[in-house]
This record gives sequence, structure tokens and C-alpha cells, in this order.
Amino acid sequence: MSEVVLLQLIGLAVVGTGIVILLFIRAQFVRVIGFVSIVLGLFALVALAVPQMASLPPAEEKFDIATVKTPTDMAAIGQKIFFSKGQCALCHSIGPSEAARCPDLRGIGAKLSREFIFESLTHPQAYIYLDYRHEGLPKEYPARMPYINKNPIGLTKNEILSVIAFLQQMSGEPISVSPSELEAPGQAPAAPVKSAESTPVAVAQAR
Amino acid sequence: MLHQGGLLLKLVGGMTGRTWSVVTLAMLAGLVGIPALSWAQDATSVTTAYRDIPQLGGSRNIIWVIAQLHLLLAGFVLGVPIFAWVCEIVGWRSGDKRYDKLAKEFTKLLTSAYATTALFGGILLFFLIGLYPKLMGYLTDIFFPSFVVYCVLFLLETVTLYLYWYGWDAMQSGGMKRVHLFLGFLLNIFAFFIMIVPNSWATFQASPVVISEGSDIARAWAATWNPTWWPVNVHRLIANVVLGGFICGAYAGVRYLSVSTSEERDHYDWMGYVGNFIGVFGMLPLPFAGYWLMREVYQYNQQMGITLMGGFLSWLFILQAMLIGVLFLGANYYFWLGITYRIPGAEAKYKAPILTMLVILLLCLGVWMTPHSLVASLEEARKMGGTHHPLLGVFGVMSAKMTVANLMILVTFMSFIMYWRAGKQETATWAKVARAFMGGVLGVAAIIVIVLGVWGYFVPAIVRINYFSVAQVLIVLFVMLTITPLTAVLLKSARTTTEMVWGRMPPRAGYALVLNAVMVILLMTLMGYARSSSRVHWHIYGVMRDSSQYAYSPALGYAAAFMALNTFLFCLLVAFIFWVATMGDKGKAPTASGKGTLPHGAMPAMAGGSPEK
Repeated sequence: MSEVVLLQLIGLAVVGTGIVILLFIRAQFVRVIGFVSIVLGLFALVALAVPQMASLPPAEEKFDIATVKTPTDMAAIGQKIFFSKGQCALCHSIGPSEAARCPDLRGIGAKLSREFIFESLTHPQAYIYLDYRHEGLPKEYPARMPYINKNPIGLTKNEILSVIAFLQQMSGEPISVSPSELEAPGQAPAAPVKSAESTPVAVAQAR
Repeated sequence: MLHQGGLLLKLVGGMTGRTWSVVTLAMLAGLVGIPALSWAQDATSVTTAYRDIPQLGGSRNIIWVIAQLHLLLAGFVLGVPIFAWVCEIVGWRSGDKRYDKLAKEFTKLLTSAYATTALFGGILLFFLIGLYPKLMGYLTDIFFPSFVVYCVLFLLETVTLYLYWYGWDAMQSGGMKRVHLFLGFLLNIFAFFIMIVPNSWATFQASPVVISEGSDIARAWAATWNPTWWPVNVHRLIANVVLGGFICGAYAGVRYLSVSTSEERDHYDWMGYVGNFIGVFGMLPLPFAGYWLMREVYQYNQQMGITLMGGFLSWLFILQAMLIGVLFLGANYYFWLGITYRIPGAEAKYKAPILTMLVILLLCLGVWMTPHSLVASLEEARKMGGTHHPLLGVFGVMSAKMTVANLMILVTFMSFIMYWRAGKQETATWAKVARAFMGGVLGVAAIIVIVLGVWGYFVPAIVRINYFSVAQVLIVLFVMLTITPLTAVLLKSARTTTEMVWGRMPPRAGYALVLNAVMVILLMTLMGYARSSSRVHWHIYGVMRDSSQYAYSPALGYAAAFMALNTFLFCLLVAFIFWVATMGDKGKAPTASGKGTLPHGAMPAMAGGSPEK
């Protein structure tokens, strides 16, 4: 029996108990408890009826450099990062979408050089790409591009290079990133960000 | 009780202002010195990151239940003094002793509720230190100065509460009543600061500001004044008033259902009315405070905002809409029952407007609860042309939701005004003009809110968020701030055509009051889960990652089961507190009803009552 079914059964039991109390018990306080049980049970049942999505921590893509032989291998890892730890798909679409809050990334690997993409990810405010879709003056997109190499996203250099490989592959471009550029474990990350686990006053995240 | 109050008063009276100053300064100096002593030592490194008690459901669930109960109790303990103090002022200004009695009745609860809250705070602290030592070590390192401030505030609050409660009877006459009111004011000021200090710890976890330079106090201050601190402070302050009001209403509702004498029925009917009134009064501006909080969240971190509103938590806001919708319906229903049963002859007159308002509320609720994207099979999605329904999808976006939320507030406000004016006839010469003006303001405001809502579909989101939504909020606030004083002035000279009759409400009115309280508590638990889950897998967003086995946010159904459990436990705790606090009254019930000493037929000075005495 799944957890949802079990909780639904418990919810139904709580509602049922509340109904029985209201039908057969005359003591007012107990009747109020029965009424509250019905309300709470119904609330839980409604919550169990909507899509059940848990938010799991992003899976760490392990870079065993020895197993990454080709740029295509890197692109495969980059695709996973794009849709998980990198949170890129939270705002960007691949292909036109009215729901997207930020620029469409289809063909981005062909439009921009790898250096420009790297800079866009690590220094997102260096050049602002404006939204020309709407009438009037071009505007900034509603969502501001975060620093991908800093927390809370905090991609490593290897992960960023893999995402670039994915963007280039997805745009039909030859992948210009090479597995030889990957850094072995222990080497410095792209933009060092000390974590709070090493020292309590490491990160300046002012507004 | 009086004896103790007298002792305290003597003690207070015996100390000169200078003595007080010296004692206070010495206490403060001692407390301020504590951090210096502790910081002089090297901090012991914390090697254990987590502990767990799986037999009790796991560390996260244990903390969830205890923290939620502590927060709800704290909301109650901080909301009730506001509620009691406002009632005391109304009683003092209007001369209606019932308000004073009501204020005292609720202040009496505070002593036991305060102890229970502190007890749960202590349990929470011990469990946090035990189960999350590394996180607590980090937070202590940053916030220790504010821990000290918190202790000082607690001492001040405790002393003020004792003086306020035990001095109630001794400070009833003459200038002493003003002193007592001032104590009530101080109690609320200290309570406010007691609320905002821990708020800084919680909001820091969601929107941390960590600086590496400066003194320990500078670091603590920077961390305290984080982007979501004030929005949460304001939101919680208003929410506490709402909680206090609706719990008062629920208590009155339960008592109303079980009392046997007509005098008690009158009293608890009236108490339910006052509780509902204060709850609704606080509820009307609450969505605006929530909107401000969400804006700040978006401005602080877009991902967090999107996770909340468009990510895995988006369905949570459908549940929120459902709860708020039921709360609005419950509050309005109670108003409408009041018009029907307390004001003889009013039923026929107000039947059509009530029906109209009910239809508007239900339509608005339907729009608010429409999800942005639908759960559909591939075939269904293909038929619809995507996951957005071709017709209903229009209602799933924020522009529609902001519009209906504002309309529901307007309707509820109108219910309240209608109830206030029922059974009275304005005698002022300018009454007709005033009525036309108020009708015009309301109509124009509703039209502008709808026009802005529709227009919002055709402008970039940033324009809608920054201008249109803000304009809608300001318009509704303008309506409230214009019509409320105008109605008050208009009714000052009004003639009462039908006296309000208490104690005639049907039993379902009592259940409506209980339902409202449950909805508010559920909303608090729901939004607590939302705030906590918006941090996703971080203890402190972007600073300290949750590396425990509980680093995930559970799905809504599982979370809702916990919310329901916490709400139930909190209701039982509150019932226990009420039972304990009123146990002493039962022994002296025949003489202590106090009804005989009240002016017969006196009506409340608040909305719904007659100004005649």
C-alpha cells in the first residue's frame, strides 16, 4: 500500500469518525471535536488529491573524469544538470514559450560563443539581454539571471562546461568544449565560494 | 489574587525612579556582559552535524510538530494581548463594562498560555540543539547578541504581564486605569519585539545576509535586518490579531453551544460577534501583507519566488485559496446569520444583497482555485492544446487571482458595513449624499479592480506586478479607509429602528466560528510549510546546505496530514488552556456572571451595536 493510499484511508477514517460523533453523541464539546475532525480530514483528503510532488535535493553529478571520453559524454551530463541542479529550466525554455520568464535557449549554442556563455553564467550582469517581445521599449526579463557558480546553485567549472557542451549540442553546433579541460578533483573550482560548513562567515549574500 | 496584586503594587510603588533605573541598568549591563565572557573563550568545534530519533518519527518530524505548536501558541499569546488591550480601550472609552470583562477574561488565559508557550519553546530549543547541533552552532555564532536581547525582552514581558493581570482589579478607578492601559500598551510593545527577534532567526534562514567584516553585533544586526524580516514581521503581527480574534470567536462558539442559561447565551453570542469582528478586521489587510512578503521574496531571489509560486509548491496555493475562500465564506456567513437572527425583520430586507454577495464570493473562489496548469493525460493535453485549459486557463494566472482576491475583500467589507448599518436609520441631513458617495466609491473601485485585472493580461509581468497589482491593493485600502470613518460618523446620529437581540443565533453559528478558527490555524500551518519548503535543500538558503537524510521537502499530501495533526493538537491545547483558566469560575458561577452589574440592554460600541445606552 502506497503512502498516499494509507494517508487517504486515515483521512477517510477521521472524517467517518467525525460523522459518527455528530450523529450519535450529544455532548457539545465532543461534537465540536467531531466537527473539527471532519474539517481536518477533508482538508487532508483534498491535499492528497492534488499532484504529489516532493522536492528532492539535486543529485550530484559525479565527474569521474576517466569515464568522460568525448564531448558527447559531457553534453549528456550537461543535459542532466540543465534540468536538475542547474535549475535552468525553471526560467528558460528550449523553444518558444509564453510561460518562460527568460530568453528561449533554442539555438543559443550557435548564437553565442562558449566564452560568452561562460561569462553569462558566471557574470550574468555583464551584458543584459533585453526582452523585445513586448510593445514599447525593450525591457529586462522579469527574472534576473543568478550567478550559476555561486550558491544556492553553485555549479562547479566542470558542470558549467558540461552545460555549455549540452547547449552547443542542442543547437546543432560542434561541441567546442573538450574533456581535457575538466579539472581533476581537488583542483580549484571556477569561482571559489567557501561554504558555511568550513567557516561561519564565508558568504556575502547581501541584497 | 488581589492580595498578590497589592503586594506587587506596593513593591513597585516603593521603588523610586532612580532605583528602577539602577536596577535596570545593572541587569542590562550584566546581560550585555555575558557575550563578552563567552566570546573570550574559544568556541568548541561541533563535530556532530545531526542526531536522529527514528523511533519518534525522525528528527525533522519531531521538530515540525514542536515548532508548529510553539509558533501557534506564540501567535495566540501575542495576539490575545492585542485583542484584550483593544477591548479594554473600547470598554474604557464607551463605558461598556462587558468589554472590560471580556478583556479580563482573555488576559486571564495569558498566564497559563504564556507558560505553555514557553514550555514548548524550551522543548523546541533542547531538541534543536540536540538534533541539529551544527546548524544551531552556526546560528548561535551569528545571533548570540540577539539571544541576549530576547532574554531581556522576555523578562520585561513577564514582569509587565504579571502587573497587567494581577493589577487588573486594583487599577480600575481614576488615573490608575490609565496606568493599567499603559501597562497593556507596554505588554504589546514587548510582545511585538519578542515576536520580531525570533522572526529574524527564521527569516535569516530564508534570505540570509552574512557579512564577514565588523563586530559581532554588526554581523548580528546585518543578519537580523535581512530582506524578508519586516514583511514577515508585519504579516505575522496582523495574522496574530486574526488568530486571537477567531480563537476568541471559536471559544465563544463552543461555549454558546453548551451553555444553558439565557444570560450566558447572550454573553457568548456577543463574545462570538466581537471575536469574529476583530478576526475579519485583521483579515482584510492580511493579503496585502502577504503580497508584500512575496514581492520581497522575488526581489531577494527569483528562484525562491518561482519555486513558491510556479514550482513544486504551486499547488499549495490552490489549497491556500481554498482555505482563504472558506474563511471568507465562513466570516460572511456569520455576518449574514447575525443580520438574519439578531435583527428582527432584517431578513427580508437583506435577502437579495446577501444572495448576490454569496454568488460573487463563490465565483471569485472558483477563479482563485483554478490552477494554472491542469494534470492531464497526454491525450487530454493534446485535445486542450497544452496543459492549460483553453477557457479556464485564463483564470489560472496571477492577474485573475489578484483581481478576485481584492473583490472578495470588498464583498466581505460590504458584509461588515451592511451588518453595522442594519437596524438603524441615518438621521443626518447629508445621509443621502453620503450613501450615494459610498455606493459610488465602492462601484467605481470594483470596476477599476476588474479593469486592471483584465488589462494585466496584456502588459509585461513586471508592469502588472509593480503597478497594476499595487494599484488594486491601494484602491481597496482606499475604499476601506474612506467608507469606515464615513459610516462611523453617519451612524453616530442614527436612530435605532430595531434593537439587536443577542442569544438567538442558531447552533450552526457556533460551528461557523469554530470553522473560521480552524481555517486560520490551518492557513498558518500551510504557509509555514511553504516558507520552510521554499528553502528547498538548504538549512540557510545558499549558505548552509541540509545534508541530512531529511533534506527533501515532502509532498503536499504528506505535509497536509502533519498540518491537520498540528492543528488538532493545537486546538486541544487551547481547549485545555481555556478549561484550566476557567475552572475557578465554575465554583463561583452563580455570583460571578457579572451580568447584573452591566447596564441592561447595553449594546457594543463597535460595529453592529447601538450607540444608545
